[in-house]
Amino acid sequence: MNYVFHFGDIWAARDEFLSGTLYTLRLSAVSMVLSLIVAVFGALARTAGPRWLSIAVASYVEFIRNTPFLVQIFVIFFGLPVIGLRLDANTGALVAMVLNGSAYTIEIVRAGIESIDHGQAEAARALGLRSFVIFRKVILPQALRVVFAPLGSQFILLMLNSSIVSVISADDLTSAAQDVQGRTFRSFEAYLAAIGVYLTLSLMFTAVFAGVHRVAFGARGARS
Amino acid sequence: MRAFSVSDVVFLIMAARWTLLLSAFGFIGGGVLGLLIALMRISHSAVPRWIAIFYIRLFQGTPLLLQLFVVFFGADMLGFGLGAYLSALLGLSLNAGAFLGEIWRGSIQAVPKGQWEAAEALGLPAYPRLLRVIFPQALRIALPPTVGFLVNLVKSTSLAAIIGFVELTRAGQLLNNATFRPFTIFGSVALIYFILCWPLSLASQRLEARLARAYQR
Amino acid sequence: MRPFKLFVAAILIMGAVLHIRPAAAQTVDEIISRGSINIGVLVDLPPYGILNAQQEPDGYDIEVAKLLGKYMGVKVNLVQLTSPNRIPFLVTNKVDMIVATFGITPERAKQVLFSIPYSAIENVVFAPKSAHIEKIEDLKGKRVGVPRGTVQDVILTQTLGSDVKMSRFDDDPSTYQALLTGQVDAIAETGLTGDTFFAANPSGNIERKFMLLRQPNGITLRKDQWNLHQWVNTFIYFVKNNGELSVIHQKWFHQDLPNLPVF
Repeated sequence: MNYVFHFGDIWAARDEFLSGTLYTLRLSAVSMVLSLIVAVFGALARTAGPRWLSIAVASYVEFIRNTPFLVQIFVIFFGLPVIGLRLDANTGALVAMVLNGSAYTIEIVRAGIESIDHGQAEAARALGLRSFVIFRKVILPQALRVVFAPLGSQFILLMLNSSIVSVISADDLTSAAQDVQGRTFRSFEAYLAAIGVYLTLSLMFTAVFAGVHRVAFGARGARS
Repeated sequence: MRAFSVSDVVFLIMAARWTLLLSAFGFIGGGVLGLLIALMRISHSAVPRWIAIFYIRLFQGTPLLLQLFVVFFGADMLGFGLGAYLSALLGLSLNAGAFLGEIWRGSIQAVPKGQWEAAEALGLPAYPRLLRVIFPQALRIALPPTVGFLVNLVKSTSLAAIIGFVELTRAGQLLNNATFRPFTIFGSVALIYFILCWPLSLASQRLEARLARAYQR
Repeated sequence: MRPFKLFVAAILIMGAVLHIRPAAAQTVDEIISRGSINIGVLVDLPPYGILNAQQEPDGYDIEVAKLLGKYMGVKVNLVQLTSPNRIPFLVTNKVDMIVATFGITPERAKQVLFSIPYSAIENVVFAPKSAHIEKIEDLKGKRVGVPRGTVQDVILTQTLGSDVKMSRFDDDPSTYQALLTGQVDAIAETGLTGDTFFAANPSGNIERKFMLLRQPNGITLRKDQWNLHQWVNTFIYFVKNNGELSVIHQKWFHQDLPNLPVF
């Protein structure tokens, strides 16, 4: 082995790594929340909306899920300005994350909704509740409880996927590693440090979500 | 800047060959590794099991992009040189090994316990039991998510562009540098990926539906 | 099952071993006996490095690299790089040297060996005609695009610090395009390349604002390649003297060689 490790330069740049980490967390959290909101409407359109809307949403979902995130980012950041829509790096990153994340989250929420027994909706209607109220107060809460675990996994996937926004100069953790590496030429050390942070974050969130699931839903169990 | 022409579309399609090559060999490499990981994961002894758990957590809990960077720049630490293609291949295989290992572990464990017990009761020793009785059933359960993962693998090959390997996405970048038509070019690139991936996605969904029907008694 | 697993393992190891390249050569003799040299070049920085109509590398740097190979008597393998991964490729032995418009600075000289200059570029700040930017202080509060880790990146970051919002891209074309689409307010890039790019895309109304510095470029080698370094310096000195370098320079820049002081 003819390489000498120099983590000193990495430690000197810890502020950059920290702000990159915070950016990644913020971006992931905001993207997840927005994706979830879009997903609820999207899943509603898919399960109960008019046929044309259902097909439109399904087409959007299929297109996003069958094309790479990197290419989507290039289209949004480099392609859209050509037709007049100019987004800076951080806004573009958010838009790309939400467009991508929503497609997957729609499918998760939809699976949750469809797993709820029809009897629930029928009983609610027999009680005289209106459709939208039924969706909001009866179906949706149960659906979200059912898919809480997959939603947690989706958040972690979103966070790991966010590393790709570094290619459009957004200020995330991977970008920080790239910048430090570009200045100090310590590629290996910089990337290892970044990997360490991502691994810690994903393990931490996995544990947190599992804990929340047990505390909030564990006692209830799975009753459909 | 020259205009975007038919020969450019051909250039993109030719580059897509590399995408397919990377996907195929990445799947083979990841498959071999995944089988190993799955078997280690369900092992009765703690050491292989924990190695497998650590491996899966590492590769599933960190971004693929960084994994590719580390493989690409790290291989030389150990004294041998890997070009962009082999780094991408190795990185994708290592990553796929973790995901396929998890999927296949789940499939093996999804085979009803009764099957294991029946095989044991019939006097079958460990390996034929696994091979002849459990594997065929696990295979059937594993097929839909495996095909689904293959779609992810094809999309993941796009990250090889960032370490400079000229597959479909990088070809789009190079073309864009010369002609500056990002919307048309990256739109075309997306379309080609869609044509490659969508049939696989549909196949996966169809397989899943058929499996669900088969298991409904 | 056990013999099968061993067999698979053996195949994999053999396959891996067959794919391994020997570590990069250190001396001229090693390269000559190997018969080929791996030279890293940029292909997205016209006219220093481009991809021609046959999708092959071409340009000033590439012609210098080929001339070097000719004088050494070895085949030249051109490895395409982007600005940010020039050094990583060099220090991880993926190339034997780089001829990639790499600016000579003392900071970089801590990690690498520079040859005497073989070209010089102007590092220029570009912005739309409507923007009022005449000196470096005018960039305060603005969003400035640069390729990661370049001389201009380091200068602007050190001079302006947090007064400027740096947008660091992974390659040169993204940087140029970001200015054209208005996603950054200004960029700091190679003068001639920017001229070429913005002349071909006049819609952005981009012009040169001011020159950041004149940057001499050296062929870049690893710290322990002393023998090779001496040879490269000899080569550059020779082709400067006999006019061959000037011919190449005229071909690509339509100008004589600028003053390239020797050290």
